[in-house]
Amino acid sequence: MSSLSDVGNLMHLYLDEIDPGKGTDAPEFLILASAQLLLQKGERNWIPVIIKEIGEDKYEVIGNSFIYAVAEEAGLEKIWCIIAEDDEDTAKISRVLAGEEIPKINLSKASRDEIASALQYLVERPGSALKGIKLSVATNRIDEAPRQYWKSLNEITKLKCAISRGKKLDMLKQVFYLTPQPLPDVITDPALLNSMTAAELKKMAKKRDITGYSKLKKPELVDLLRQSPD
Amino acid sequence: MGTIRLRIEPFLLPNLMIMTASSLQTALQSLPENAQEPIVDKLFAQHLLEKLSFGHNDIYPQYQTQSGRGLAVDYAARKSQEKDLFLHTKTNPDLLVELKGRDINLSPDSAKYTSTAKQLRGYLLGGYCKSARWGLMTNANHIQLFRKHGKVVHPATPCWPTNLDNIDEIVSRIKKKIENPLRALIVAVYNNKGGVGKTTTTVNLAAVLTLLNKKVLVVDFDPNQQDLTSSLGIPLSNGKVYEALKNRDIDFSEVVVPYKLTDKRTQKSVQFDVIPADKMLAYEVDEVKLRQDLKPSALFKGLDKLRSQYDYILIDSPPNWRIFSQRALYAADAILVPTKHNNLFSLENAAMAIQKFIPETQELKGDGTPIALPVFFNGEKTTHAQVRSAHEAIHSIIKSAKKQGCDLTACFYPKSVKSRQDLHIFEVPAYANIANAAFSRIPAVYRDKTAREYYKNLAKEYFVQ
Repeated sequence: MSSLSDVGNLMHLYLDEIDPGKGTDAPEFLILASAQLLLQKGERNWIPVIIKEIGEDKYEVIGNSFIYAVAEEAGLEKIWCIIAEDDEDTAKISRVLAGEEIPKINLSKASRDEIASALQYLVERPGSALKGIKLSVATNRIDEAPRQYWKSLNEITKLKCAISRGKKLDMLKQVFYLTPQPLPDVITDPALLNSMTAAELKKMAKKRDITGYSKLKKPELVDLLRQSPD
Repeated sequence: MGTIRLRIEPFLLPNLMIMTASSLQTALQSLPENAQEPIVDKLFAQHLLEKLSFGHNDIYPQYQTQSGRGLAVDYAARKSQEKDLFLHTKTNPDLLVELKGRDINLSPDSAKYTSTAKQLRGYLLGGYCKSARWGLMTNANHIQLFRKHGKVVHPATPCWPTNLDNIDEIVSRIKKKIENPLRALIVAVYNNKGGVGKTTTTVNLAAVLTLLNKKVLVVDFDPNQQDLTSSLGIPLSNGKVYEALKNRDIDFSEVVVPYKLTDKRTQKSVQFDVIPADKMLAYEVDEVKLRQDLKPSALFKGLDKLRSQYDYILIDSPPNWRIFSQRALYAADAILVPTKHNNLFSLENAAMAIQKFIPETQELKGDGTPIALPVFFNGEKTTHAQVRSAHEAIHSIIKSAKKQGCDLTACFYPKSVKSRQDLHIFEVPAYANIANAAFSRIPAVYRDKTAREYYKNLAKEYFVQ
């Protein structure tokens, strides 16, 4: 980057040189009322719009699109902006810090407290599809599940904590992502064994050359398989 | 360079000349009065860790306490095993040390003391420090040891002011504590108000901790109600507990009764131990006599001997501030305070306990315990309006406590910080099967899946890491 770079600087730029990017989904009322206030209170947006440079005198909004929309509504000619780096990480963190995007946590590694706070956030959102779930039950079940191996969040629907496919699961997908570990060759983790069906467990017993499994019930199969070989 | 003031009282001088000063005394002496953190580190902390018997292989500086979060604690330490040098593996620290400069005031009433203790607590609860049992904070003027048990962090010593006379003694006491870790956490379940679910909480918490593979002892220290003992279908003690409390030669383990339950289907059994309520304490002995027989530390001394046999010792205490609750609180490391959001008195009484009874007990006991755990709402149906009025009540309780110089915010709203108000209070939801379980003499968590999840949640939120 040249020393003449504007990255990090606060700039007063023409609105028509800036592309609004993804725009905001804020309600019309908030835009109108904020625009009026901005005009009455000095016409200066003290909280800057975050933009990136996409060409000479050409910019695109990556964060605080709401402020851009308000300035546009107010009919300002110029707007205060901060020029940020042009890369995906910068765009992402700007949107998250501006409160325009919900950050996600890694459910493969998340702590119990993190899971609890994520679920609480979802349950308490207005009109949440998760209103009816028991927070403590869902937290315990998800925390105790072998989630480090999950390849998809659909596994949550098997935990019997009233989270089904569709709206409820979609909400969870807003806050969780996974970076699954490969399944170990020999599975001894009881949580993981318990998540499988009896038929799958029997197949595994056969593979491991264990005999006398055919009449066992699932809990007994789990007990048998959790003993590590030798 | 500022002037270096030697902190030596004149009458000590001859003494020092005869006996060579210890390395810690020398370190303290050489430390400038306003030494900043790097100086305290270089001149004092190194000797301190050495005196606590941590060698070069046992100490890691600037230890990252959890993944993906900024600040590191100044030192983490663990005695290395032959093939497991802490310096190399960096896993399972035992002790965390947070240093400050002498320019930062760590006397117990100062704001910096509170924030540093909070900082150390945050480190101790970090994901990489599950094994940590001790946290030490010092600026060379003051020093305090904290103990971590699961998710509970409580003082293990007072915040001692140090000087040349006492530094060696203090450090050897800290060393002794670190080298003899205590197994059990003693928790008293207390609220001055009756009917908030103390006994239900105690029994179910004990039951669920047992399911989580913890060894648990429950003490029914409410001899007038005896609810806990009878809710488990255990016979009352007839003077034996009283004897054990009175007589230092009687081992408390003689009065312990096991409560065992076997699942008919899986044949698996769970067991926790109970010290039942004593009839004698209820009617036969009057309070004057009891006070003569039972010192404030009576229960503490009895239970302290059982510490090595349990992970948790839970005490059910009566809803008043008299002889039994006083001794229950004295015996405890931490106090769990159930409240009901629709009962203003339970909230006011919780505040009273935290503001008055617990500090009184701390003063008497002198080691910084017991501490108050954040209050929680216990099992009542909630409506939005009720929750709002509960919060209004809490708000005014906090406000009036502040006027008396006591900040209760953390006790009601543990997640709240200056930059973000978080008004969530932990809650064990209303559930009929919990209340009804008493009739069957079996704790609800052993009879009902949902009750189990609710109390597991309580156990994991407050105790088990």
